[in-house]
Amino acid sequence: MSGVLVVEDEKHLAEGLRFNLEAEGYTVDIVHDGEAALSLLLDEQRPYDAIVLDIMLPGKDGFTVASELRTAGQFVPVLMLTARGRPEDVLRGFESGADDYLQKPFELSVLMARLNALIRRREWFQKDRDGVPAVGREETPANPPEIFQFDGRTIDFDNLELRTPSQTVRLTLMEAGLLRYLIEHEGKVVSRKAMLEEVWGLNEDTDTRAIDNFIVRLRKYIEKEPSQPRHLLTVRGVGYRFVAGPFAPK
Amino acid sequence: MAVSGRRKSVIFFITLGSFLVALAIALNVGWILLNWRQVALLVLGIIFFMVIIVGVVLNTTFLIREIRRNEQHDAFINAVTHELKTPLASIRLYLETLKTRNPSEAQRENFYDIMLADSDRLLHTVEQVLRAGHAGHSRRRLNPTIIDIGEMVRECLDLTRIRYNLGPETLHYGESMDGERARVAGDADELRAAVSNLLDNANKYSDKEVNVSVEVSTLDEKRVAVRIADRGIGIPSAQLRRIFKRFYRAPGLFMSRVKGTGLGLFIVRSVVEKHGGRVFAESAGLGQGSTFTIQLPRA
Repeated sequence: MSGVLVVEDEKHLAEGLRFNLEAEGYTVDIVHDGEAALSLLLDEQRPYDAIVLDIMLPGKDGFTVASELRTAGQFVPVLMLTARGRPEDVLRGFESGADDYLQKPFELSVLMARLNALIRRREWFQKDRDGVPAVGREETPANPPEIFQFDGRTIDFDNLELRTPSQTVRLTLMEAGLLRYLIEHEGKVVSRKAMLEEVWGLNEDTDTRAIDNFIVRLRKYIEKEPSQPRHLLTVRGVGYRFVAGPFAPK
Repeated sequence: MAVSGRRKSVIFFITLGSFLVALAIALNVGWILLNWRQVALLVLGIIFFMVIIVGVVLNTTFLIREIRRNEQHDAFINAVTHELKTPLASIRLYLETLKTRNPSEAQRENFYDIMLADSDRLLHTVEQVLRAGHAGHSRRRLNPTIIDIGEMVRECLDLTRIRYNLGPETLHYGESMDGERARVAGDADELRAAVSNLLDNANKYSDKEVNVSVEVSTLDEKRVAVRIADRGIGIPSAQLRRIFKRFYRAPGLFMSRVKGTGLGLFIVRSVVEKHGGRVFAESAGLGQGSTFTIQLPRA
C-alpha cells in the first residue's frame, strides 16, 4: 500500500484529499505546515511514496520545504498543489525540486493520475535498485531503459540518475526532462523559449531567464569545470547547445 | 526569487539616492569654499544645488514608495488569488467526490456543510474586494437609515460566534449609555461590514485563546464609540496608523501565518470616515493585545 503525505493548511481541502486518496487505497497522513512536514520526512525519516505539497503554507512555504528536502537528499516525489499558477511560480516550483505541479482548483481525476504516475515511476526505480531487472517485470514501461553516455558520464533516464566517475547524482523529473530535450537536439541551438514550451509546457510569456538556473545546476552535474562548459554551451542571445563531445559513443 | 530581486532593487535605489545626495552636498560645500568671493554666483549656485538636492531626495523617496507599493500590490494579488481559488478548489473537490465516490449519509452531510462554509468564505472575499473597490469613491451615496448601534454590534457578535465556532465566554459585550440609546444615521450594511471586519481581526490575530470584549458607549451628546479590545498579538506602535492603509499588512512572524488581503481595516476606515466618524487603534506593543475604537456621530 502506498503512503502519501498531504501538506496543506486548508483543512477542508486536506480532508477532501484524504477521503479520495484513501478511497484509492493509499494510506494518508496530513500535516498543516512546512516544519511538520520536514520533521516527519527528515527527522523521523518516515517513508512516503509521494507528497502533495501546498505552496502558501504558514511558516516555511512549499518552495522552501521542497528545496530543503532535496538538499537533505530526500528524493521522494513531490507534487505541488497550489493556487499560484503564474508561469514564474510554476518554474520556481520545479526549480525548488518539485516533480509535478498542479493548479487549484484541480480536477480530481487529473490529480489522481499525476500522483499515480509519480508513484509508479518511483516503484520502477525502487525495483531496479533492489536488483529486479528493468525488463520483464510486471509494470514494465513501454520503452527499454534509456541510457545516454558521453564523456565518461552516464545518464539513466529511467532511474533519474546521472553517474560520473566521481559521483552519482539524482535528477528531478524536470532536470531529466531538460537534459533529455537538450540531448535530443544535440549539436543544435535550442532557444530558452523552446525549452520552456517543450519541457515545461509553458506557452505564456515567461521570464525565460528562469531557465538559466536550471542550466547552472545541470552544468554542475555534467561539466568538469562548470565555469568553462564543454558540453552545455551558451549561445549568446539565443539559448543553449548541447555537445556530447569527442568521446561520445554514437 | 521575485521578492529578493525587488529587495535588491530597493537597496540599490536607497544606496544610489544616498550617494547622490552625499555627492551633491560635497560638491556644494567644496564649491562654496573655492568660490566664496563670487557672492552673486555663489548664491545662485547654492539655490541650484539646493534644488538638485531636493529633487534627488524627492525622486528617491518616490521610487522607494513606488517599489513598496508594487510589493504590497503583488502580495495582495497573491492573497486574493489564494482566497478565491482555495474555497473554489475545495467545493469542486467535494462535488467531484460526491459524484464519483459513494460516501455514507453522514459523510455526505459533512461534505455539504464544508461546501457551504467554503461558499460563505468565497462570498466574504468577493464582498471585501468589491467593498474595497468602491470604498475609494467617497462620493458614492450612502443609503442612510437610523440604526441602533448597540443592537447592530450584538448582531455582528452573534454572526462572528457562529462563523468561527466560538464559545459564549470568548466574546463579551457591554453597553454604557447616557440614558438614551445610541443611534447612528448611516448605511447598515456598510457599518455591519466595518464592525465585522474588526471582530474578524480580533479573532484571527488572537494567538492562543480568543478573548474579545466589545463595548458600545456614548461619549457625549454628539458621539458614540464602539471599542473592540482583544488579547491577541498586539501591534507595534510604529504600525498603528499604517495598518489602515489599503493592502498594508504589518510584517512579522505571526502575520505570515495568518492569511489576509490587507483590505479589512482599509474598508473599516473608509466606511467610518464616510459616516463622518473616525477609527483608531491602540496597543501596548507586540503580545499586549490591541483595541480598536470607532467613533461615530449620533443621529
